[in-house]
Amino acid sequence: MYKTFTEKPIQRIGEDGKRLGRQKIGLPPEKLLEMYRDMLRARLFDEKLVLILRQGKTSFYSQSTGMEGTQIGLAHAIRAGHDWVWPYYRDQGLMLALGVPARDVLAQFMGLESDESKARQMPHHFSSRAHRVVSCSSSIANQVAPAAGMAMAQKYLGLDEITVCTFGDGATSEGDWHAGVNMAAVNGASVLFVCENNQYAISAGLESQMKCKNVSSKGHAYGIPGYFVDGQDVVAVQEVMLQAAEEVRAGGGPVLVEALTYRIGTHSSADDDSKYRSREEVQLWKNRDPIVRLERYLEREGILPDATGRQALQQGIRSELEQILHQLNLESGPSWRSMFEDVYSDLPVHLQEQYQSLEVEQLALERAEALRRAGARERAEIHATQLIGEGSY
Amino acid sequence: MTQLAEKPNPISEKKVMTLAAALTDGMDIALERDEKVVMYGEDVGVMGGVFRVTTGLQGKHGKHRVFDTPLTEEGILGTAVGMCAVGWKPVVELQFGGFLYAGLDQVISHVSRYRYRSRGRWNTPMVIRFPYGGGLNLLEQHHDSPETYLTHTPGIKVVFPTTPYDAKGLMLAAIEDPDPVVIFENIKLYRSVKEEVPTGYYTVPLGKARKVMDGSDVTLITWGAMVTQCEAAAKAALEAGISCDVLDLRTLVPLDLEAILESVEKTGRVVIVHEANLTSGFGGEIAALIAEKALFSLEAPILRVAGFDTMHSPFNPINHFHRPEPAYIADAIRKVLEA
Repeated sequence: MYKTFTEKPIQRIGEDGKRLGRQKIGLPPEKLLEMYRDMLRARLFDEKLVLILRQGKTSFYSQSTGMEGTQIGLAHAIRAGHDWVWPYYRDQGLMLALGVPARDVLAQFMGLESDESKARQMPHHFSSRAHRVVSCSSSIANQVAPAAGMAMAQKYLGLDEITVCTFGDGATSEGDWHAGVNMAAVNGASVLFVCENNQYAISAGLESQMKCKNVSSKGHAYGIPGYFVDGQDVVAVQEVMLQAAEEVRAGGGPVLVEALTYRIGTHSSADDDSKYRSREEVQLWKNRDPIVRLERYLEREGILPDATGRQALQQGIRSELEQILHQLNLESGPSWRSMFEDVYSDLPVHLQEQYQSLEVEQLALERAEALRRAGARERAEIHATQLIGEGSY
Repeated sequence: MTQLAEKPNPISEKKVMTLAAALTDGMDIALERDEKVVMYGEDVGVMGGVFRVTTGLQGKHGKHRVFDTPLTEEGILGTAVGMCAVGWKPVVELQFGGFLYAGLDQVISHVSRYRYRSRGRWNTPMVIRFPYGGGLNLLEQHHDSPETYLTHTPGIKVVFPTTPYDAKGLMLAAIEDPDPVVIFENIKLYRSVKEEVPTGYYTVPLGKARKVMDGSDVTLITWGAMVTQCEAAAKAALEAGISCDVLDLRTLVPLDLEAILESVEKTGRVVIVHEANLTSGFGGEIAALIAEKALFSLEAPILRVAGFDTMHSPFNPINHFHRPEPAYIADAIRKVLEA
């Protein structure tokens, strides 16, 4: 049993890959390898998304490189598709590891018609009813009270589902965070609150975010347990999250877990991190790469695939993403009509009128475009005939 | 958008109720009819709310369905979003309309958008209710009329019950509505109006205005407590031989534009009256719609009578400035007739 409110983050694997403490690691090799694969998949997804952002296929991207230990450890501690998740925006690794198809996650980033939220959400606001992932909004921390409300309902209904709510360190300064955690605590709601503390809210470091020594200690204020875990240690994260999740599931009320991690990349595609943190600091955390740490452990245990095997693993993930992108490139975004749907359960008169006024304009544009294309085709045909006639090939 | 009104059983019993009692009765019936309905807010459970509108509901339906919460508007509104995601129908109370601001982010960023952003996979069929408006000489921020923040937010319906009959019927319709509905309960009207109300179940459809008085000279368009003020002004005008068509909009979203235009085409003269301050008030929206759709029916410029663009000041000796009096409405009636 892990202790609450520890001074230092709970660890299971040292940076050299050695197991810490006497307790054996209970995870079977196949589970460890699955987690390893999920971490690689999140990392390669990140790399790919930076690329497609440069190609203009998405409009915004926030990298999660460096945070795989936290997100994949969490995903493997809860019951995917059974427990509900209110994620925060940087949770692409969590989404993939929960089993949300990479195709769906990518479609969301690319704003396609087939996206679950019909391209109505900004990139990163994941949603999957089938996987019980509820989409978030752009106001930081305002998923916290909704998660509490859902868990109040679960508790009342006597379900064994729990609600998982993730957020960054900056979110814990928002009024909605305190309101939501307090509501959950007072009502004994079944929520696992997870802080993915990557130490920066855009440029604001922890010392400008909070006076208390860490996020987990905030649990004291609400009378709920707070765990502090090393987010770069996927095994420690999985074990602590599992213990916390099962405490919540058993009806003990909400639990707060803070995973201390670091984002290696910039906050978003619109950010320049060299202005607020030193290269030495970034390098220090690169050396604490959660994937490398797990590899070292797996190697010690003799279950790490050899270089060829690792290469094949990466290649498999890369070609999976490549294939999906290839298909998604053929898809298109939603019709302008979609803008008016689902505002209300039906289309009120004033929206009908606005829809019709836009329709007149759009149909005229469509006709003009059709004519332009027809004209271009005709010109091309004439040109081709001339070429053939002149015997130029 | 609107539901068909289920006519109350003609042999259904009737009982004299205040507007507050009619709201309570409506919520009581909703709790009885639908086990997914829950009600909560600050002081809602044991005490029955600061205006006692939920009196008796916890005792009758249990602490798990009617309960008190910590003091947190964003928490109250936010938890309701999560409950909706698993199929519940929360009816939440905020203590005053002026306290909505603390939780407005939940309303705008979540409540109003869930259907849209989830492509209809999730919706938020909750009811948010609070007392609003002036006339009781309360405190700053306890007399606000914040409807414009909500009418400007797509995805939300906005309801103003004025009579006890409507209060109960609109409450039941709002709770059944698949979209989020905000009910503005007027502080002054809570206990100042009484009438016979059927004790059984019925609804009043959202989106249908109520003709309060029939007239042909001037159209008075209004909602909430200003209906009473307009009625008083119209009765006085009638003594001077001027007949007013008085429309109680009942809901601002959806808006019964048909009823508005029908009346405007008949009278050609329009006064719009609301309690919220003038600038960017919903009256401006109605005036614009009339100008767009019935300009050539107008015989005079449209006039608005509204609160002043200042804050309610509790110790101001002329408190009623924040709440248009019948005299101001009479003045506007005279002006549109002289134009």
